Amino acid sequence: MAEGFDIEHLAKLARLQLTPEEKVLYAQQLNSVLGHFRALAEADLPAQVDDALVVSEAALRADNPGPTLGAEAVTRVAPASRDGQISVPRVVDDEA
Amino acid sequence: MSQSTASSDWEIVIGLEVHVQLHTRAKVFASCGWGFGQEPNEQVDAVVLGLPGTLPVVNREAVERSILFGLVVGAEIPERCAWDRKNYFYPDNPKNYQLTQKDFPVVVGGKVEIELPGASRNVMGEHKWIRLHHAHLEEDVGKLSHAGGGSLVDYNRAGVPLLEIVTEPDLRSAAEAEAFLRSLVAMLTQAGVADCDMEKGQLRCDCNVSVRPRGATKLGTRTETKNLNSISGVRDTVIYESARQIRELQAGRAIVQETRGWNAEQGRGYVLRDKEDAHDYRYFPDPDIPTLLISRDTVQRLQQQVPENLYDRQRRYMEKLALPYTAASVLVAQRRLAEWFEEAVAAYPANPQGIANLIANDLLRDLAAGSAESSGEGVSTTPAKTVDDCPLKPAQLAALVKLTDEGLISKQQAKEVFAEMFKTGQDPMVIVEQKGLKQNSDTGELEKIVREVVADPAVAKSIAEYRAGNEKAINALKGPIMKRTQGKANPSLIDQLLRKILG
Repeated sequence: MAEGFDIEHLAKLARLQLTPEEKVLYAQQLNSVLGHFRALAEADLPAQVDDALVVSEAALRADNPGPTLGAEAVTRVAPASRDGQISVPRVVDDEA
Repeated sequence: MSQSTASSDWEIVIGLEVHVQLHTRAKVFASCGWGFGQEPNEQVDAVVLGLPGTLPVVNREAVERSILFGLVVGAEIPERCAWDRKNYFYPDNPKNYQLTQKDFPVVVGGKVEIELPGASRNVMGEHKWIRLHHAHLEEDVGKLSHAGGGSLVDYNRAGVPLLEIVTEPDLRSAAEAEAFLRSLVAMLTQAGVADCDMEKGQLRCDCNVSVRPRGATKLGTRTETKNLNSISGVRDTVIYESARQIRELQAGRAIVQETRGWNAEQGRGYVLRDKEDAHDYRYFPDPDIPTLLISRDTVQRLQQQVPENLYDRQRRYMEKLALPYTAASVLVAQRRLAEWFEEAVAAYPANPQGIANLIANDLLRDLAAGSAESSGEGVSTTPAKTVDDCPLKPAQLAALVKLTDEGLISKQQAKEVFAEMFKTGQDPMVIVEQKGLKQNSDTGELEKIVREVVADPAVAKSIAEYRAGNEKAINALKGPIMKRTQGKANPSLIDQLLRKILG
């Protein structure tokens, strides 16, 4: 069984419809992945490993505007568009 | 819980989350530029859209302005900050996650001084400190507009650097929330961190409100009203929502922890339809952006850019320069105006009040009139004019005050000279001479006129009264003298001569 997560909740958050067989399969696979991370978390690692993931300010980008794609290219990759904007089903923060 | 009835039996507790677009040219993780009023989706690149193979790189300016904000509010700048992914499906977000900072924000703590309204306009109100919890640097999301059966998405705003400033629940009234936002906006703009133009959506607020019986220590259940885009919207939300919660509790109902919206046109709040599981964002560290180490050298360098705190400056003007609150508060509201004033005082330190009065009354009035003229009819798109938009220089204004103090021109004439200086940028002395305004301080010539006036039988009665001890009677003689000199005589010199001649 899944440890520390609810496969049905995760599927809902990810907008996935899973069959009962898939739920079992993916729960096992996720457990296996999490197992690897648990092993890493328990390992006694020297501080340098953490420092390898740290960058100095030299890695920052200068505040210079670069090229853009243009609205035509942006809307071309969308399933639907109108007046230079991407068209989606109505999503409103309507009153309940 | 005690059965309280009057609204004064309740304490309102407010915490704000203020989202401010930082003053940068490029976006925060992408190099494409941004700005208000562009055609939809023209300011978008592959990184903004999160297309496969793209890598976000953090904009240095966005980080530095965030740090600068932290230093302005006396916050801690931790040595490390990091970014996380906040996952949710909503079309305002092209990547299905927003890059934000959850556990390691760039700014921790800090506090903001606020000033509440006084009993009247010329009385300074109470001051109070509001603690900040933290501020984190994230990306703004795209803009949705709703038309007919569908919604349209413009990603120009997606990826704009956004500093989210989170307060502790220290605010206790709508007036305090309003004062906090005004103070915050002044600090952000005066330090050059952000422009805070609310008409362009550069500052937006989420407002957490709860109420509790006065004296209670435990916080009540709160609601969060999202996306308020004006200071008045926050004020009105606090008034509306606190009254609603008190009514609910008085009726014996519990407050539901919920997300709400605000309808500014109708002046009322409403419950937002909760996005399903919206609060389960499954944050995790963004693997594309390494943890950033912020050097103490950078913090020290930025510390030099922190301007004098608005209220420290106000106190200095009132205590050291003896300015009245009305003038001091007007001058400190704009950093450039305060600096301009200080340049003028440096040129003529003898009369800061005279300089402050000319700026607060005449200069600001003429600047405002100039803005109104240039914006013409209809919606004003011209930004308000600043002191740097007029040809007048601080040293020239100082010279005008000096001329008045020395009695060379009267206060009335100074206003006339000021109007001319404001238009032309000429030195006051040049205008005084051109207009022949110079007061007559030639004792010999003036004494002759005074003697002639005194000899006129028409004033004999006033002279007798003066000699009989009526001090005020002497004023009746000054009018005819002024008339004879066409108003150019130095009033104090006339007074001296009259007293000498009349003995």
